[in-house]
Amino acid sequence: MQKLRTVTLTLIIGFSVISMLLAGCSSNNCPLESTVLCNFHFYDSEGTAISYGDTITVTTLLPGYKTVYIYRKFGMPTLTLDHPDQQLTESGYTMSQMETRKDSVLVNKLAGQSSMQVPLSYFNATDTLIVNYASISRNDTIYIGHNGYPYVDLPECGTHVFHKLSSISSTDAAIDHIEINKPDVNYEGNENIRIFFNGTAQ
Amino acid sequence: MKTSVYSSMVLLSSLLCISLWFMSTRSFAQTDTTIVTADSVSTVISVTESVTGKTITLPDSIDPAKYVESLMEDDKTMFFQGFTISADLMGPVLYFASDYGSVEGALRLNLKNTYFPIVEVGYAKCDMTDDNTDIHYATTAPYFRVGCDVNMLKDKKQDNRLYIGLRYGFSKFTYDIDGPDISDPIWGGTDKFSYRDLDATCHWAEVIAGVQVKIWKSFHMGWSVRLKRNFSSTQSKYADPYYIPGYGTTTSSTAWGGTYNLIFDLNWGKRKIAKTDR
Repeated sequence: MQKLRTVTLTLIIGFSVISMLLAGCSSNNCPLESTVLCNFHFYDSEGTAISYGDTITVTTLLPGYKTVYIYRKFGMPTLTLDHPDQQLTESGYTMSQMETRKDSVLVNKLAGQSSMQVPLSYFNATDTLIVNYASISRNDTIYIGHNGYPYVDLPECGTHVFHKLSSISSTDAAIDHIEINKPDVNYEGNENIRIFFNGTAQ
Repeated sequence: MKTSVYSSMVLLSSLLCISLWFMSTRSFAQTDTTIVTADSVSTVISVTESVTGKTITLPDSIDPAKYVESLMEDDKTMFFQGFTISADLMGPVLYFASDYGSVEGALRLNLKNTYFPIVEVGYAKCDMTDDNTDIHYATTAPYFRVGCDVNMLKDKKQDNRLYIGLRYGFSKFTYDIDGPDISDPIWGGTDKFSYRDLDATCHWAEVIAGVQVKIWKSFHMGWSVRLKRNFSSTQSKYADPYYIPGYGTTTSSTAWGGTYNLIFDLNWGKRKIAKTDR
């Protein structure tokens, strides 16, 4: 009987401890990033993974138009600004203005990397990405077809938008070809898109 | 909100544990007093009994015929000892004190006072809104568990039980989830986030340890602590189920749970002896 009492008391104490542990602990496994990103990985034209040596800037076109201010001066590079600059005018630049599509920089001056991460639009069926290279005069344009949908893992983590990639294509300034590797864009860190650049790794 | 609920749970658990402890010690002590020792009496009689083939010494205050019958009962315990029906008291308390709760009943067979196959049926409800994200989750659905407990006490005849067991749990349910409008921070635009009647089917397993003590006649009380693991669940494209009826919240891959049970024990087999053995 004494043994049974000891066992029973142990279980009672154990249950109380467990209750207190449950009361004191609150797990939170929410992702740190609030925006889900699409992962692009770089390859040469033969499929070898590479770190791309050029500096890349990726912008995307947004709905609507904006006014840009273009400053030109003989012997100087042309400057395009989102706002007028009085100092440039006073220093001899001539200004003209024009309407153009709104855009946003998604990746700024990425250099020597083997991959990049780009957000996708929540509600558009197709996103247009413009890839600018520091050493090439031409840009590449990438068209990504996808379906975005909201997803809640836990209520305490809030709402995130996942995507299902459906199609992809690009121009060929520096890109040999492009393909979808894993279409599910979520928090699992999948290699979603493979960009095969012109040339082969040495 | 959650802190006050947990505090209430801890307080309630502690009070019930203390009361159960007193009940169990009193009940166990009563069992102790039935032991007869020859040293405590001055006058003894000798009885030779064909059942045991041994000479037994008894105090003269004890009826030898009854003692012989008791020995026969020890050897001839019937396989089917009856059944118990029980209700969980923890679920309704949680229902009034927190965002979720349940009502649950169980039917348990008693096989030789050792094995207890059991079916548990319940109906659970969850209606919660996260304070930080304003995401609202709601579900109301039945659930089922089947399994078996094993009485770990050496003395199987006593009214108290210390048991371990396993359960398989199942629930097929729908849930609603909604929250603030979604806004695209780069491209712009907003859309509503509200989904109704998302389907889910979940299967899980539980490992159980618990005690059960007699409080009055055929009424018992007991508690169990349960470690649960969800091993299969269908998921919606838009949201995982936050609360699974019968399982609990899904904030981690395993969940702890517990029950406080009021039990009505129809344990007739303990006093029954097969006629052929008389």
